[in-house]
Amino acid sequence: MNDINSFLSRLNSIINFSTILPKIILIVGLITIVITDLVNKGKNANFLYKIFLISTLVSMGILFYQLISVIAFEDLYTNNTFNNLFRFFILICSFISVLLSVDYVLCSKISLVEFPLFKISAGLGGMILSCATNLITIYVSLEFLALSSCFLSGYTKRDIRSNEASMKFLLMSGASSSSLLNDFSLLYGFSDGQVQLDNIIDKILFSQYIPIICISAAFILAGTAFKLSLFPFHQWTPDVYEGSPTPVVAFFSVTSKVAALCLFTRLFRLIFPYLSNEWHIVVELLAISSMILGNLIVVTQRSFKRMLAYSSISQIGYVMIGILAADLENGYASMITYRFIYIFMNLGTFARITPFSLRTGSDNIKDYAGLYMKDPVLTFSLVLCLLSLGGIPPLSGFFGKLYLFWHGWKAGLYLSVTVALVTSVISIFYYLKIIKLMLTKTTNLVDTLKTYENQKSLVSSIISTKLKSSVEMAMILCALASTLSGLFMDPIIKITRNTFF
Amino acid sequence: MNLSELIHEFILALIEPGILVGSIGTISFINTTNSSFSLGLVFTCISLLYFALNADFIAAAQLLVYVGAINVLIVFAIMITDQSVSSDSEKRGIGYFTALGACSILFLTIVCIFHKINDFYSSSIHQSEYLKLNLFEQNDVQNIGYQLLNKFLVPFELASLLLLVALVGAINPARDEDEGKDIAENKKKSFVSSTSPRDKSSFF
Repeated sequence: MNDINSFLSRLNSIINFSTILPKIILIVGLITIVITDLVNKGKNANFLYKIFLISTLVSMGILFYQLISVIAFEDLYTNNTFNNLFRFFILICSFISVLLSVDYVLCSKISLVEFPLFKISAGLGGMILSCATNLITIYVSLEFLALSSCFLSGYTKRDIRSNEASMKFLLMSGASSSSLLNDFSLLYGFSDGQVQLDNIIDKILFSQYIPIICISAAFILAGTAFKLSLFPFHQWTPDVYEGSPTPVVAFFSVTSKVAALCLFTRLFRLIFPYLSNEWHIVVELLAISSMILGNLIVVTQRSFKRMLAYSSISQIGYVMIGILAADLENGYASMITYRFIYIFMNLGTFARITPFSLRTGSDNIKDYAGLYMKDPVLTFSLVLCLLSLGGIPPLSGFFGKLYLFWHGWKAGLYLSVTVALVTSVISIFYYLKIIKLMLTKTTNLVDTLKTYENQKSLVSSIISTKLKSSVEMAMILCALASTLSGLFMDPIIKITRNTFF
Repeated sequence: MNLSELIHEFILALIEPGILVGSIGTISFINTTNSSFSLGLVFTCISLLYFALNADFIAAAQLLVYVGAINVLIVFAIMITDQSVSSDSEKRGIGYFTALGACSILFLTIVCIFHKINDFYSSSIHQSEYLKLNLFEQNDVQNIGYQLLNKFLVPFELASLLLLVALVGAINPARDEDEGKDIAENKKKSFVSSTSPRDKSSFF
């Protein structure tokens, strides 16, 4: 008994004091995937995905355990609640998006192994970015995330649009990284050679170097706004979303945005506390224009993925309000809660589009007409997720938006909240238009839907449950999460509350 | 001027014309292969300059990265693509004069900045502080190695993983898909029928 106790306490201390343990598990998973494929010579696809899922789950478990207990401090990256929450989100995103992608990859006859490899590496990059406090670590992990996402988006190499998407992504990430690097070199120089973010603030003499600080703030804004697809830097988003394979879009629409948000918040909060009025105004302006632009252009779209791209641009506008409204008692609770709900809503929507596009091969919204008759499960869950994105009351999207706008109003951002409310109404119009299209019975079905078949899964289900395939499991998970999270809003808010640093 | 300064000036006087000649050659050679080789000359002379300025790590890094990797890549690319030796007529349009004006302004700016820094550092107070830093006694490479494995361990290991992922990602679009076709044909037997909607789509 004593031995077990001492063993458990030692295990406890190891898990608690090793903040990089989740990442080590992901790295081990990555190497295992490569070696397994090498040994098996490409025969056993399911096993690879099982490895990925298991490693992600174990990481999540350890991270969750660390969230609850008190953790030690390390030099390269700190371990407060903010970091842990973001890492947890990224792991959730990776997990769910891999569930989406298994069928797709096998069906479109593209090579199988590199897909989980790139997904793990992108997840790893995102995780390290979330808890990096060192300029060099930030840069290397940002490059890691960008490079893996770029390879993922160019994965279906026979499709021209995929090639175009990956070229655009590469150029965009190159431009944003160079802008960030320029800024980091300014900060490095002016803080007398410090690389740690905390030391930089100590050393920069703010009163003396205000023009330089403004320039570096502008560069950071440009660099991170590219990844977040804020207003003037959003041009890459629709083309990349439309061209990349659908599960890949699902993955990096949540993962890279979450990681970029973490980076943005940390950089602006830590480095420029004296300039908060100036950059508040600029970010508010960008947020308002993203919301207006995203929601207005979304009305004219005919492709589902492009529509989701523009809607994600406007969602970032809403989230920016949450960043601006952060104060001492609530931390970044509103932004993090909305992000959490948004992950599920977005992944849920993509989880419906993926099997639809696999079965009918089309992305046009008009082809969704009358879907209710052919596949009620898909229709119903898509309706739930779209309504949650729009912000209709009993679903969790409403609660997230409510909290966000209430915080914004309390913090005095009256103009932004008003614009956000108006543009939310426009987005609800558009989502309802799609829902109406799906639910109404049309006498002459569209050609593509005539050959629609409710196929069983192409691979045997990865986890032996009663469900038909992993995509359906992801669908149901996301649908449940996006509806019921509204009920669990209070505990979520309480967890995300002490994230101010 | 004592002997060591004289030698230093002599070496610099040898290296700098090399850089000038190389860069003029890069621009004005008509044959692109010649111009890429003179770019290699420029990089080599820059790394010799670093050696002369006592920055041995940067000199080695310059040789390895610029000459050994980037220049070799440029030469490969030029030699693989079929270049016809074309000679454009020398039209001095408006772009020429704009570039000339911008470059001369930049050059004058850099010269002014260098003069100001020179004046700043040649005052005696700063020279004594500079010597106090004792820069010439440090072993740069050892210091860098030490920092890499202690303070910057996470980015270092992450960069190695990045290299792995970059290699896999670069090979992935470029390789033959014969293996993939065989495996896919094996799996086709287990597919559910009706391939027509899927074949119709070039959407993936």
